[in-house]
Amino acid sequence: MIVEKIVEIKNISFFYGERQVLSNISISFAKQTISAITGASGSGKSTLLSTINRLWEEVGGARVEGRVKIWLEGQEIDVYERQISLPELRRKVGMVFQIPNPLPMSIYKNLTLPLKMAGIKNRDLQREKVESVLKDAFLWSEVEPRLHEDARNLSGGQQQRLCIARAMILEPEVLLLDEPTSSLDEGAVFEIENLLLSLKERCSLLMVSHDLAQVRRVADSAVELVAGSLQ
Amino acid sequence: MSGTLQVVFSGRRLLFLVTAGGVFVTLSILVFMIVLGLPLFTSNSFSLILTQDWAPDRGFFGIFPFICGTLAIVTLSLLLAFPLSLGNAVLIHLLLPPVAAKFLHRVVKMMTGIPTVIYGFVGIFLLVPFVREWFDSGSGMSILSAALLLALLISPTMILVFVESFAAIPKSQVRAVAALGGNLRQKLIYLYLPGAQNGILTGLLLATGRALGDTMIALMVAGNATAQPESLLDPVRTLTAHIALVMAADFDSIEFKTIFACGIILYLWTATLTLTLRFLPYGVLKSRLNRGLS
Amino acid sequence: MNRVYDCLLYFSAGICGLLLLGAVAGLTGFLLWHGLPVLGLELFFGSLKIGEIVDVIFLQQVVVDGLWPAVVGTCLLVLMALSTALPLGLGAGIYLAEYAGGKAKTLFSLTFDLLAGVPSIVIGLFGFSLTLYLHRQFSSLTPCLLISGLSLALLVLPYLVRTTQTALEDLPDSLRLTAAALGAEKSATIILVLLPQALPGIFSGVVLAIGRAAEDTAVIMLTGVVATAGIPRSLFDNYEALPFYIFYTASQFSDQHELQQGFGAALVLLIICVLLFTGAGLIRKKASYRLLYHSK
Repeated sequence: MIVEKIVEIKNISFFYGERQVLSNISISFAKQTISAITGASGSGKSTLLSTINRLWEEVGGARVEGRVKIWLEGQEIDVYERQISLPELRRKVGMVFQIPNPLPMSIYKNLTLPLKMAGIKNRDLQREKVESVLKDAFLWSEVEPRLHEDARNLSGGQQQRLCIARAMILEPEVLLLDEPTSSLDEGAVFEIENLLLSLKERCSLLMVSHDLAQVRRVADSAVELVAGSLQ
Repeated sequence: MSGTLQVVFSGRRLLFLVTAGGVFVTLSILVFMIVLGLPLFTSNSFSLILTQDWAPDRGFFGIFPFICGTLAIVTLSLLLAFPLSLGNAVLIHLLLPPVAAKFLHRVVKMMTGIPTVIYGFVGIFLLVPFVREWFDSGSGMSILSAALLLALLISPTMILVFVESFAAIPKSQVRAVAALGGNLRQKLIYLYLPGAQNGILTGLLLATGRALGDTMIALMVAGNATAQPESLLDPVRTLTAHIALVMAADFDSIEFKTIFACGIILYLWTATLTLTLRFLPYGVLKSRLNRGLS
Repeated sequence: MNRVYDCLLYFSAGICGLLLLGAVAGLTGFLLWHGLPVLGLELFFGSLKIGEIVDVIFLQQVVVDGLWPAVVGTCLLVLMALSTALPLGLGAGIYLAEYAGGKAKTLFSLTFDLLAGVPSIVIGLFGFSLTLYLHRQFSSLTPCLLISGLSLALLVLPYLVRTTQTALEDLPDSLRLTAAALGAEKSATIILVLLPQALPGIFSGVVLAIGRAAEDTAVIMLTGVVATAGIPRSLFDNYEALPFYIFYTASQFSDQHELQQGFGAALVLLIICVLLFTGAGLIRKKASYRLLYHSK
């Protein structure tokens, strides 16, 4: 069976100041699967994830060598090419963080924000998309009556599902997940894992996790990082 | 895509131009005054302007008495306001029960909103007659009257900065001193005053700037006399008041040009204060200050 | 012995508090005592009848003996100063907080600090010399509402820049990171995420600026305010203003009635400024709430 690739990382090294965080990593991930990256804390898992959407550039003080390729709509894209538009790349490569990070605004505005930023201004379309993405995230019945309340009043698990919904609203082809359940309690973890499995149909998921049991439950494949190198 | 890129780019450009414009205007204030006061630098020697008395009928156009007047009023007002502010800051942060402290804090904040012209107005009708009667001297318009009002004007600034800098002292240190059995006076001497010294200096400098730059109080209650003051009960004219008063004169006279000398001196004094403040390491306090005090 | 020092400390701090409160109470009490009795329509419109007052508002009637023209003048000044300084201040504040870096940032911030420290009379002198300079080019230009408005804009500009910049810089970086991960361009992050969050801080700067523009006397007395001008008919007219009215009355009043008017004016200005400062907190909470949670 020929596996179709979605992301290919080639000879990536990452330096934070003097310190080398990743050394010469090459790996590829298959389309429409859940691929897991495991490893102890400090092994560079999250950093590896951030080289794919170049989010590390927002912090400063870091430097990357190597290449990353992504296949979006069947087209090969060199992520570290000069002319590439980062906002457009990040709209196609969604990201969910370790600590749920709803923006300090209403649930509804959290979800319409990416739409507005991508130039989708039609109110009806926005409303339609919010509803469908919340239903996909099994959140609709819980938040429908309180769409215009502060998103930060939701429980941790609800917040994280909202963040996944927010990342999915632009229909990305890749979803990067940085320890999406490590700050949540057990019940919430289960819900999120179910949600992730259901998303596999529509996009490819790359998940960083240090929880091996979780990796066994949801991931189709896994690699381990030890001190910045692949095992 | 390139359309959006262009918008971002030109938006950034526009913001830069706006900022640069503000910077340009700030610098042009000084340039304007130097250019317009230029005849003073070239013809009449500038040092004469700085050191002579003011007696236009005898051909003396010196602003020395006004420099003295300004310094006298500012110094006296600081001497009055500093202990007053320190006392109130201690009251607010350490001594008063919460409700009373909050009330006093509110009042002080409200005071920052009182227009200077109102201090001057009330000064003329309430304080000046009082000074006149009490000290039995002239009109009552004097260094003392102006300094008293000015002290009231600059105290809120100092109190708020002092309270902020007391609050910035780490709770752990406060607990440590308390655990050693320190009473309030000892806490103040060994913890709060040394810990807040940068804040205290900041407050003093900010207040000095306000006092130097005030026009209305000096103009309304200092008496505006042109002679060299000899006592605190003498009327004086400040540099700011001089600018306000000479405006009416003939534009080509030396008299008129001296106001630019006053302007330059004031600009340089306040600029020095600002630069000093800038290089004070007052960390946490800085952002809080920017938010609403200065 | 220690006990004596402690008592001394409590005592002197108490005295300081009493002195301050006493002074404030004396000041406001004195103004209220003399100003309250004259507070009323007559203070603003003189002996005009109610019907005529309506005409005044539609500029059909002139107020001869009242504060109305001064109130209008002050409002116009605030309006002009704010409409000029607000876009500039916001722009520069955003630039300094989000775009400028390194030496440029230090230098620009320093200049706005310098501007904030310049005494208002010196700003007025600048406005006046600018008029003098322009007068040589266009001989019809004399000190007027336009010059005063622009000078006041210069006076309040640093407050607006500073509060905008600090309000933005105080926001956590996680907001910027989250927005970036959602595919936001920098401008979109600023407009859709950061500015709404920074609004309360910016708003307090705006209120501060309104207060400064409304109360400042030194700037306007060099740039075109006069004791009697009526309502200005254009930007190039002289005008009246509340703080100048107060100053003028204090030195030039000729009878008891004028003095009473002065007290009334002082009380009105005090009330306006204190309301501005205390009311600001309330409004700013409401404003940011509407923007973030109400999505109509």
